[in-house]
Amino acid sequence: MPYTSTLSAYLPFFRSPPPRFVTETGEPVWGIMAQFDDVVSAYHAAEKMRDAGFSKWDLHAPFPIHGIEEAMGHKRTILPYIVLVAAFAGIGTAIGMQWWISAIDYPLVVQGKPYGAWEPFAMIIFELGVLFSAFASLFGMMMLNGLPRLHHPLMLKDSFLDVTDDKFFVVVEATDPSFNPEHTSKFLREIGATAVELVEDA
Amino acid sequence: MSQISAEAYQKVLAGVTGDPRMAEDNVSAPAATAKLSKLLLGIGVVGLLVTLVGGFMLGAQHAMASYLVAVGAVFAMTLGATVLVMSFHLVNAGWCATVRRQFENLMSLAPVTLLMFVPLIVLELFITKGAIWEWLIPGIAEEDPIIAIKTPFLNPAFFTIRFFVYLAILGFLTVRLRGMSIEQDRTGDRFLSARARFMSAWGLPLTALLIAFAGFDYFMSLQPQFFSTMWGIYIFAGGAVSCMGVMVSTFCVLRHAGRLKGLVTDEHFHDLGKLLFAFTCFWAYIGFSQYFLIWYANIPEETFWMLERTTGVWKGTAIFLSVGHFIVPFFFLLPRAIKRNPKLVAIGGAWIIFMHVIDYVWLIRPILHHGDHVPTPMSWWLDIAAIVGVFGIFFGLFVARVGSSPLTPLQDPKLPESMSHKNYV
Repeated sequence: MPYTSTLSAYLPFFRSPPPRFVTETGEPVWGIMAQFDDVVSAYHAAEKMRDAGFSKWDLHAPFPIHGIEEAMGHKRTILPYIVLVAAFAGIGTAIGMQWWISAIDYPLVVQGKPYGAWEPFAMIIFELGVLFSAFASLFGMMMLNGLPRLHHPLMLKDSFLDVTDDKFFVVVEATDPSFNPEHTSKFLREIGATAVELVEDA
Repeated sequence: MSQISAEAYQKVLAGVTGDPRMAEDNVSAPAATAKLSKLLLGIGVVGLLVTLVGGFMLGAQHAMASYLVAVGAVFAMTLGATVLVMSFHLVNAGWCATVRRQFENLMSLAPVTLLMFVPLIVLELFITKGAIWEWLIPGIAEEDPIIAIKTPFLNPAFFTIRFFVYLAILGFLTVRLRGMSIEQDRTGDRFLSARARFMSAWGLPLTALLIAFAGFDYFMSLQPQFFSTMWGIYIFAGGAVSCMGVMVSTFCVLRHAGRLKGLVTDEHFHDLGKLLFAFTCFWAYIGFSQYFLIWYANIPEETFWMLERTTGVWKGTAIFLSVGHFIVPFFFLLPRAIKRNPKLVAIGGAWIIFMHVIDYVWLIRPILHHGDHVPTPMSWWLDIAAIVGVFGIFFGLFVARVGSSPLTPLQDPKLPESMSHKNYV
């Protein structure tokens, strides 16, 4: 059975559209996975996938491959801008909070220093800026990556387990506009895949 | 440490020396360096002559303080380069093999800039006696108990001995480290890198102590009642950031002259820019920490120094320094695209050099605002003359150094790594 949340039972606009493709057994198709046996063919396959204009696809490898971003045509992440905004939010929070507390709400003479002296604020300004930035980096990264998730359709594929050993997988999702089970699997074989398999949405 | 055999290493070296990027016209200094060096030295001599004249017109104290501002600024730059070269050796850094030669050129001027202190020291010890270094005023130890307890350290004999110790340490380390690098160009002996690493291991802590003590001697003892335990690191922070400023500007000019193509790439500029950015933050961190501890502890021996520099006529300079030496370069150098653009990062570097000079003006020049002689803003031409003079001489010598050797190490074992260096983030 395809996964449906209880939420979408009550709220129809959360319901996903009907699957574009189904397998012979009637399961909706999540995508296609293609196995590559070595890093060179996987790298060149990534370049060809990029040039063929696929957008919703990914490459899985047992280890990081230098330069794979260019081969896959990845754009740079927007995460730094999220972090920048968070840093300013942290700085603003720190200034506002400390100034309001120690100069307005509860002025207290500490060591004969002025109420609103900026000097002791500086550390907290720095710390909150760093704290907010760190949170934004971590949670922004997870959000952009769609994490955390407990399940993925690829996990049900026994052959995919080799990705932690010595195999490389190019995976194309069915939501890709140029996805078509027959054509895409033919294309993947042409660019050097040693095995191509349909992945059911489960 | 695993070693490859001598034959295998010869193959690695042959790959480096046979690389088209190592062609003669790519790694040799442009012919214009000799002319530029002469021009800068000429400007420097004129500047120093104007300073000398100014000394007779406006008083020796003003001229000496202005000269100390300029010499202190360039001295800190060379110390920053010394520490960076030794750090590169010590951590066996690969990316910086192609850029290390220019750091070595800057480093090799450390003993020269130290010798620039000689006129001041001679004048102070024998003629002007305490015009700028207050503890040298005859009889001041009897009047001021704070200076009296510091006389075991601050006395003319020990002061002179320390100068020669600094000269010996800096002379040996910088001449030897640069010499080994030049020797490696010729012989290709990979074990020279290991020897440079060993030398850096004991040289780095020694240099750290030298920076602290030279900072105490030449800049902190201007007002001997004052003391700060962050002084040495503040001098280093300013020196390191201005050294990076000189380096990015140098590489930008060399690339503009059509040199170091493919050897110092945007990737190297990215890393140099990161160091420039990091030391900008480091300078601000140290500067704020020094100010903050003095502000918080509120001990009169310390606060009088900071009060002079953060209130009254020097308040504006202090604000300009924190904005111009930190906030502006911080946001300017923050984006990745700017650090990867040689021209823009060189503009940032040149700005940092300017702010570094302002930093030394702020540290040293307020000593003239004591007593009856208070210089008017109209007398600032003397400071400008001294800065132009010393910087002219210094950069004239630096340009001559750049022209005297290949622009990059030719047979360094780390070259293959540096020549294919790439930032993956």
